[in-house]
Formats: sequence, structure tokens, C-alpha cells
Amino acid sequence: MFRYVLKRLVLMIPVILVTSLLIYFAMSLTGGDPAVFLAPENATDAQIQQIRVDLGLTDSFPVRYLKYMAGMLHGDLGTSYVTKRDVFRTFIERLPNTMQLAGASVLIATLIALPLGIYTAIHENTWKDTLGMIFALFGVSMPNFWLGLMLIIVFSLKLKWFPSGGKSGPLSLVLPALTVGLGLAALITRTTRSSMLDVIRQDYIRTARAKGCSEKRVIRRHALPNALIPIITVIGMQLSNVMTGSVLAESVFSWPGIGRLIFESISKRDTPMVTGSIIMCSILMVLINLLVDIVYAFFDPRIKAQYTHKG
Amino acid sequence: MKKALTIAMALLLASSALFATGAKEQPAAAAAPATDQSGIPAHKSDLIIGSAADINNLDLQKQQDQINNIVLKTTHQTLVRFTNEGTFVPELATSWEYKDDTHLVFHLDPRAKFNDGTPLTAEDVKFTYDMAMNSYVSSALAGLVSTTVVDEHTVELEIEKYNNEFIASIASVPLSIQSKHAYESGVKDPYYVGSGPYMFDEWVQGEYCRVKKNPNYWRDDPGVSDTITFRPIIEDSSRVIALQNGEIDVCVNPPINELSFLQDDKNITVFERAGSRLFYFAFNVSKAPWDNQKLRQAVACAIDRDSVLQVAVDGKGTPQTTILNRGLWGFYDEMPGFPYDVERAKKLMAEAGYPNGGIKTTLLIANSSPYTNIAQVVQANLKVIGIDVEIQMVDDATLKSTCKAGTQDLYLWRWNEDSKVDFVYRDLFYTGSGSNYHHYSNKRADELTDLVATEKDQDKRMQDGIELQKLLVEECPQVPLYIANLVIAYNKNLKGERLFGGGNHDWSHAYIAK
Repeated sequence: MFRYVLKRLVLMIPVILVTSLLIYFAMSLTGGDPAVFLAPENATDAQIQQIRVDLGLTDSFPVRYLKYMAGMLHGDLGTSYVTKRDVFRTFIERLPNTMQLAGASVLIATLIALPLGIYTAIHENTWKDTLGMIFALFGVSMPNFWLGLMLIIVFSLKLKWFPSGGKSGPLSLVLPALTVGLGLAALITRTTRSSMLDVIRQDYIRTARAKGCSEKRVIRRHALPNALIPIITVIGMQLSNVMTGSVLAESVFSWPGIGRLIFESISKRDTPMVTGSIIMCSILMVLINLLVDIVYAFFDPRIKAQYTHKG
Repeated sequence: MKKALTIAMALLLASSALFATGAKEQPAAAAAPATDQSGIPAHKSDLIIGSAADINNLDLQKQQDQINNIVLKTTHQTLVRFTNEGTFVPELATSWEYKDDTHLVFHLDPRAKFNDGTPLTAEDVKFTYDMAMNSYVSSALAGLVSTTVVDEHTVELEIEKYNNEFIASIASVPLSIQSKHAYESGVKDPYYVGSGPYMFDEWVQGEYCRVKKNPNYWRDDPGVSDTITFRPIIEDSSRVIALQNGEIDVCVNPPINELSFLQDDKNITVFERAGSRLFYFAFNVSKAPWDNQKLRQAVACAIDRDSVLQVAVDGKGTPQTTILNRGLWGFYDEMPGFPYDVERAKKLMAEAGYPNGGIKTTLLIANSSPYTNIAQVVQANLKVIGIDVEIQMVDDATLKSTCKAGTQDLYLWRWNEDSKVDFVYRDLFYTGSGSNYHHYSNKRADELTDLVATEKDQDKRMQDGIELQKLLVEECPQVPLYIANLVIAYNKNLKGERLFGGGNHDWSHAYIAK
């Protein structure tokens, strides 16, 4: 197991290298000179050139990239063009906010989706199943920003239960987490239903029923544990997606997370902040996926045995 | 069902509490005791400004964003202050005079001191200006040769040549006076040390920036609110709802299409006044066929400014003929110009050598409001006179660097200036100017720009300014479209605000009365 984790961690190195190169290259392809954007409107050509020199923009692409990578080896992801602050530090400051949002969203999604997915699977092809699937379809199709605004109007403006945005204590997390969580719940519900349907058609489920097990016990002890692997995969994938991609929800709710940081940095052409943040996000995704793989082992003895043999 | 709902809500709250541990509490909008000590009116303790942009840098000379400057206006002061009535009044300087054409002497208020209690002296002025001359904002001090300390409270500035608007230059926020002592004594973030009625308290990036009353404030006009919190809420609709909820006291730039919700709310005031931000359609005159003056005039006649104004800002603005921002000294809009007249446009097209149109061109615009709306009207207008416009949407950075490089055909942009005419004439139209995206060059226009800057006889200067505006409208490197009104919504009990047409508001004396 330890060797497996170590191997996965080592494999992160080429991932980071390729990601950083691609991102750095993509950012260099985008039109627009950051120096022109950063300079005051009435700056002279000489001043703009000075800004280019200060930012190291006069070097060729390979030189800039190599310098960047050399800095990265020392934990230096550069300094923001706009805020003049350390990119790594800024990212780390925003990370807990996004983790709170992602964690709460996935928790909400799981609390809704698991029971609903199991329920619809048990009542396959009945009106209950149809109703559940309509919910899932609604959740998948609903744009995040629209749902967010609707929740604000109902729960904040009309009912005054929650603040409309910002980060001001536990209550302010409810609406953004619900917005992101409902979208995720739909996807997890569908996966849970389909995975459960696969499992409850298996022979050992029929055997359990034949032995006289109660339906509750069949589902809880025999079906659900075996159906969990694809569900965990989806939850893990969704967690990494939310960690790195809840731009819309963060914008609607003024949630000071990573998504908003990247969005604003792109609009300001803050290349070091965008590049550094995306590289950090890719590292996060790899780590979350690794975590999900490790979690498999706890739910599936076959996978655990595989690791044990190898390790 | 009711039980299930209760359980669901409890779980939601529990999960929120679980994941929100460690979250910083936003400053509470607690009310101050309703007393009237030292003549200060009863007020809400914290004034909360909901801004449409994120605060990103509060180091005065390393930033240029309007929202940063608005925060810094509460904590720092300049020698001379520009008022929202268009005048310059003493702030740190009690008076100033020209010793000769190139030497300007400022007398500092001997009471002035920084928020750390140290006195503000001529040394600090010299330190600030010397630092500025080597910073991103050096262009704001264009023409300054040197700063000399005459005595503790007197400073002399040497400029290259007499300039009518040099005083306006030093009223800009990035040139607020900073503490030499703070920089030299190794204070962390020395740029936070200012002399304004408020001082920096806490900034959680992306969440809020809060300033608190300066206990060492030296003038007899202290702020009223105990703290002022600037809270960026980028999403327009969310900002509107936050104001309706009372979570913020001021909603900057409310979206025009949601104003009716605010106007219907009896606790909210929607304020509107003439603005200074000019939106314009422009040509790259160095590139064919737009080097053809008649063709540019034809285009100007083909654009329906009233429709543009309607779709862009729901009519909340003023269509404009001249190139100068409304409210600036010497504003003149009486020239005939090129009002919307399709027949005249077609005639001018024929005179320009394009009787049947047949021009294909590209209009470069920023991918944001109102440019996307304006572009569609312009595209339809120009189609009528045989010009096919392809709209190319890019981000601001790309637009500016493309225009600077001079590879664009047509573009839409804006210019916001409320105090200095030279920032319009010179920056936008002077030969070789960095922001002359028109790539326009005219010897007479350059001469007149210099005269407006340096002519001491104000009547003659006014005539030069009018001639320059007439010339630029006739030459038509740009088609001025409209000046957008300032629209802002706030708690009906807001007092003491100083609102500027261009958005550079001063909140240093604003409060919510109780």
C-alpha cells in the first residue's frame, strides 16, 4: 500500500511538468500584452517597456518557462502582476474557503443522492422512480448561476434566512453549498441508481432473499457495499471538480475561493496567478484522485488484497 | 414531510457549521449608541460599501484601479483635493503659488500628521514625489523636474514649463503623501501610513477591506462612521439583493435592468446624476480605408446615437457630439458635428469614393457590457450604408495591446476623466501618445493641445480649446457616442457622501444616520 501511494506521488511529477508547460504555453498564446494592461492609460512607451523588463516579459518563451520552473522547485510560483503578492501564498489563503464549499456541497449531495438513488433503484420503473429521475434530470440541466440566484431570492430576500453572499459564518455557506450540491446530487443519484440496479440483479442478492433476509438487510448489507465503488468514483470526481471549478457559484455568492481567484486573474491578465493557480489545482486533482483510490480499499476487500500482495 | 424538511435543514446547517470552522466573521453592522458626543450625529457603526470590483492592491504607487483608489481616499490625502463640484481645494497644503513659470511653492498645514502620530512635513512630500517619479504612476507627474524642501512646511516643485493643470495632476490618489519615516523605519506595509480621517484596519482579500477611524486625525472634519467596510460583490444581481437585504448600505453600479426593484423599495434611494465617462466608437486612421476622412464622417452620420444610448444604458446618459468629457473645463458641444442622418451618410460615402459601399471591416470590442450591446447597433447602422462589420470580442488586455500596436480597424472604448482636459487631448489625440489608439496625427491639433496646456490668458485658452474640439470633431478620428450617467443606489439614510460622475467617490465622511 505504501509503495503504491509512493508510486502515485512520483507519477505526479510528469503530470505537473506537462500541465505547467501546457498552461504556460497556452497563456503565452493569448493575445494582449500584460504590460499594456497594467500600465496607466497615459503611460509612455518607455514606461510600458520598463514594466515589461520588470516582469521579465522581454525574455523568450523557453527562458521564461525555465526560469518559472526553477522558481517552482523552490516553492516559488511567482508574484502576481496585479496584487504584487506571492502566488502560492494567495492560493493557500483561498484554498480553505474552496475546501469548505466543496466539502459542504459534496456532503449535501451525498446526503440527498445516496438515499434517493437507492430508493429509485428499489422502485425501478414505478412512478417513484420516475419522480426521482425527473429530479436528477432537473438537477443536471439547471444552470448553477440561475439556481443560485433563485435560492438567494427565496431564502435570502424573501425569507431572510441566510445572507445573500459573502463569507460571514456558517449560515453564509448554506446557499452556495446547496447550489453546488444540488447539481452534484443529480449526478450521484443517477450513478447510485444504476450501480444499485446492477448489483440487485446479481445471484447473491437473490440467494440472500431466498435465505429469508429482510429487504432492508439485503440492501444495506449485501447490495449497497458492492454498489459503492462507482459511487465513490463519481463523488471523488465531483469533489475534485468542485474544488477546482466552482467559478459560477463563487461569483454569484461572492465566495472568496479559488474559482473566483482564477476568474478574476484571467480577466486581469495576471499570468503568474493564473498559471500558478492552475498548476496547484492540477496537483489537488491528482491528490484527491489518489485519496479516492485509497478509499476504495476500505470498501472493497479485493482491491485491498491487490495492494497487500503488491506491497 | 415536515419532519423530513426539518431534518434536511438541520443537516444543511450542521454541514455548514462543520465546514465553516475557522471562517473569519465579517464585521458586524452593529449600531453605535445614539449619542451626540462632540457634535457627531447618531449613526450606524459600520458603513458597508458593496463594490462591483475586487480590491487588489493598496500600495498607492503600484496600482491604478478605481476601487483601490476609492479605499485609499479614506486613508490618505493629497496636497490639493479635487471636489465633486469640479474645484481644487486645499487639503494638506494650505496655499500654493507660482514663484515663476516653472517653480511652484506649496505651504503645508503645520497641523498635518500621519495616523501613527508623526508629523507630515515637506520631507514626506519630497519622498513621495521622488518615489512616484520612478514608479508605475510616474506619468501622472509628467513635467515634474524636481522637488525641493524649503523648510519643514514648505516645498518647491520645479516643472519643465508652465502648465495650467499641474495642480490637477497632484490631486490624484496615487500621489497621496506617504510617510518617509514609515518606509525608513522598516514598518511592515509602510504605504498604509496615511493622514486621512480613516486608517487601515483589516483586509481579507476577496472578502472585505475595512478601515477604522484615525485616532490621530489632524483636521476638524473627522469621519462619522466608526468603520467603513468595502465589500466586493462582483455579481450585479447579488449586489442588488444584498442592498435590499440591508447586508450592504451602498450598491455601486447597480445593473440598469434591475433598477426598478430598487426604486420600488422604500428603504433605498436610487441616485442619478450626469456622469463623465465617455463611450466612443473609433477608427484606426493610420489604416486604409479609415485614413479617408469623408468615409469616417459618413460612418459618424450613420450611427444612431439615441438607439445606442437606449440599448447600452436604457437611455440613462447624454448623446454627445464633441470628444471632450462633459463637465471638464472648456467643454463645447455646439458644433454641428455629424448627427444621425442616413441620407447624408450615403452622400458622404459617395464623396469618399464608395458610392455603393462594399467595405468589409472588423470592429474590435471588449467582451463586456455595454460594448456588446453598442456593437450590435453599430453593426446594423453601418450595414445600411454598405459597410459589413464583423464584431471581434476580446478581453480588455488584448483590446488595448491590439489598439496600441495599431492592427485594428474599428474599435469601441471609453474614457473617464473629470478633472484634467490634457488627459483627453494629449492622451487620446497627440501625435505618438501611448494611448492614442486612433494613431491620429495632426500638427495643428498638437499645437492647440500645447496651447490649452500652457496658455495663461484663460479667454484665449478657451478659444484654443473650442477650436481644438471643432477640429477633432471635423477630422473625426472618433465618433463620440454618449456620456453615461452616474447611477448608484444606497440606504435612504446615507449622509455625507461625495459622489463623482466618473465613479471616484469619496466615502471618508459618509455615514448612515440613525
